[in-house]
Amino acid sequence: MIKVKNLKHSYNKDGKYAVNDISFEVKEGEIFGFLGPSGAGKSTTQGILTGLLQIQEGEVEVTGYNVRKIDNKMFNKIGMSFEQSNVYSKMSALENLEFYRKLFDVKTREPQDLINLVGLDGKENKKAGEFSKGMKHRLTFARSMINYPELWFLDEPTTGLDPAIASKIKNIIKEENEKGTTIFLTTHNMHIADELCDRVAFIVDGEIKLIDSPRNLKLQYGDKLVEVEYVMDGKTIKEKLSTVMDDDKKKLTYIIEHYSIETMHTKEATLEEIFIKVTGRELV
Amino acid sequence: MIKKIWIIFIRDLKVNTREFLTLYLLVFPILFGIGVNLLTPGITDTSISIAFIEKENVEMASYFKDFANLESFPDEEALKKRIEGRDDIIGILKDQEGSYILAQGNEPTYVIDLVKLIKTLYESDADLNETSAVIHDFGQDVPPLKTMLVNIMLLMTSVLAGMLISINIIEEKSDNTISAMHLSPVSRLGFIFGKSLIGVFLAIYGSVVLLWTTGYTDVNILQAILAIFSVSLLSIVVGFIQGLNAEDIMGAAAGVKMMFLPVAAAVASVELLSDKWQMLFYWVPYYWTYKGNVAILTKNATWPQILLYSGIVLILCAAVFALLIPRIKKGLE
Repeated sequence: MIKVKNLKHSYNKDGKYAVNDISFEVKEGEIFGFLGPSGAGKSTTQGILTGLLQIQEGEVEVTGYNVRKIDNKMFNKIGMSFEQSNVYSKMSALENLEFYRKLFDVKTREPQDLINLVGLDGKENKKAGEFSKGMKHRLTFARSMINYPELWFLDEPTTGLDPAIASKIKNIIKEENEKGTTIFLTTHNMHIADELCDRVAFIVDGEIKLIDSPRNLKLQYGDKLVEVEYVMDGKTIKEKLSTVMDDDKKKLTYIIEHYSIETMHTKEATLEEIFIKVTGRELV
Repeated sequence: MIKKIWIIFIRDLKVNTREFLTLYLLVFPILFGIGVNLLTPGITDTSISIAFIEKENVEMASYFKDFANLESFPDEEALKKRIEGRDDIIGILKDQEGSYILAQGNEPTYVIDLVKLIKTLYESDADLNETSAVIHDFGQDVPPLKTMLVNIMLLMTSVLAGMLISINIIEEKSDNTISAMHLSPVSRLGFIFGKSLIGVFLAIYGSVVLLWTTGYTDVNILQAILAIFSVSLLSIVVGFIQGLNAEDIMGAAAGVKMMFLPVAAAVASVELLSDKWQMLFYWVPYYWTYKGNVAILTKNATWPQILLYSGIVLILCAAVFALLIPRIKKGLE
C-alpha cells in the first residue's frame, strides 16, 4: 500500500535532512505505527506521503500512485485525520461534511452517520467554531473517513480526547482496519501504538532505527521479570525476580510454596521503555 | 473540475452571506447604486432659491417662479433670518426705487449674477417664449459627474472583489483548512479558481446591479461585463496574495486598499490630464478599463475599442499573474 525507498528531505536544501534516507513498506490491511518524538521527521514523512510536501529525493508510492507526479485521483483512496483540527468554523458540523463529500469522485458516507459514529449527534447543526477542541478533533476524524479510504493516515488521533472518547475512537480504528482499511498511524503515544499497531517504526533524527511488531520488540528487548508481593511474618514483601536466572526461578518457586501471595505479574517492558532503550531518546 | 470549482464557490457564497463584513461587500454595489440615485437630482439641479415677503412684489415673484425656487416670509425680520441660514438663498425686498437684492455675502458670484439677470429680464419685460434661440444637443441627458461616479464605483467593485477573496483566504488559513483541501481530489489550480470565482461573481454581479440601479439600463451590458471581468483578474490575484500574506482580516483589507491608489491615478489621468500625458499611465490596467467604461456609459463604445482595451488589461494582468503565481502556490503549501 505504501512503498518508501531512500527518502530524503531537507527543508532548506542545505544538506541537513529532516528525513534522512528512510525506507519502509506498509502492507495492505495492516496498522503501521510511525513513532518518534517531536521533530523526529514523522510529520515530514507523512507530508510527503500525502503530497502536502513536495518529494525531493527517493521514491514513494502510495496506493499505487507515484507521489512525484501526484494524480488527484489518489486522494479518492486516502483519508487523513490531522492532529490539529481543521474544519470550517463558520459552518456547522453537517455542512462541513456535506461540503467535503462533494469534492470526491467516489462513493461517500452519509455525513449524519459519521456524526453519530463519533458521538457528535445532536450537535450536527451547531457551527464548528462553537465546538470544544475535542469536538473539533472528532469532526476532523469523522471527515477523514468520508470517502471510505483504502489508506487512512491518522496523526495523533486520540490527542486531547477524554478517555471514554479516546476509547471510542480506538474502537472505530480497529473496526475500520478489520474491514480492510490500511492505517498509517503517526503518534508519540506508545500506549495507543502498542494497542493498535501490527508493526511500528521508531524514527529519531530523521532516521528509522527499527521496524517490528510490538510483540517481537517486547520479546527481544523486554526484561523477563516477575514482580511478586507476598506476606512473610506479617509483613508484605515486594521482589522482582528473573524468569531466566536459575537462582531467581528457584526463589520464586520457594515463595509460591511457602508464603501467601498477594500479587504477582510478569513485568514486560513497555513500548516506551523499548523506544528509549533502542534510540537512547525520550519521547518528548 | 468545473463541478468542484462551483462547489467551492457556493460554499464561499453561503459563508459570506453569514458575516457582516462580507455581506456588506456583497451588497455594497446595491447600496451605492441607491446612493447615486439619491444624489443625482442634486448633481443636475442648478436652481436657485429666492426669498420674498408675502404680498410684496407679487408680480415679480410670479415671474421668478419660472426660474427659481421661491420661499415667502411674513415680514422682513423673518426673511433676513432665513437669508442668514447656511444655504444659498437670495432675498428680494421693496425699497423706494423699486426693489433690491439682499444676500448674505458668501454666496457664489454666479448665484448673485443669475438673480440680477432674472431681475433685469423682468424689468425689461422679456418673455422666454419669444426667444429666437435654436438648441442642438448631442443627446447626452446624463450629467458627466454621474457617469464619472458610476465609473469609479465599477472599478471599486472590482477592488472589493479582491478584498472578498483575501477575506476568504484568511478564513481558510485561520481554520487550517487549506491542507484538508489539498488532501481532496481538488487540484491546486482548481482550488485557486474555486476561491477566485466569488471575486469574479462580485465584480460582474456588482457592476450589472450598479448599472441597473443607476439607470444605465441601455448601455451594452456585455461590453461592460468584459471590461470589468478583465480588470477584476488583477484584483483577484492581489486579493490572493494579500490573503496569503496577511495575518488577519484587517491586514488583508489594508493591503487590498492599496489598489485604490492605481484606481485614483487612472481616474485622475483620464479626467485631468491631456492625451500626451496620459501615456504615463498606460501601464495601469484601471486606466484602460476607466477609458473603456467612459465609452460604454456614454454609449459611444465600439466592440473593437472594448476588445482592444480589455486585451491590454488582460495582458497586464497576465504579467502580474505570472509574477505572483509562484508566491500564491508557495503560500498555499
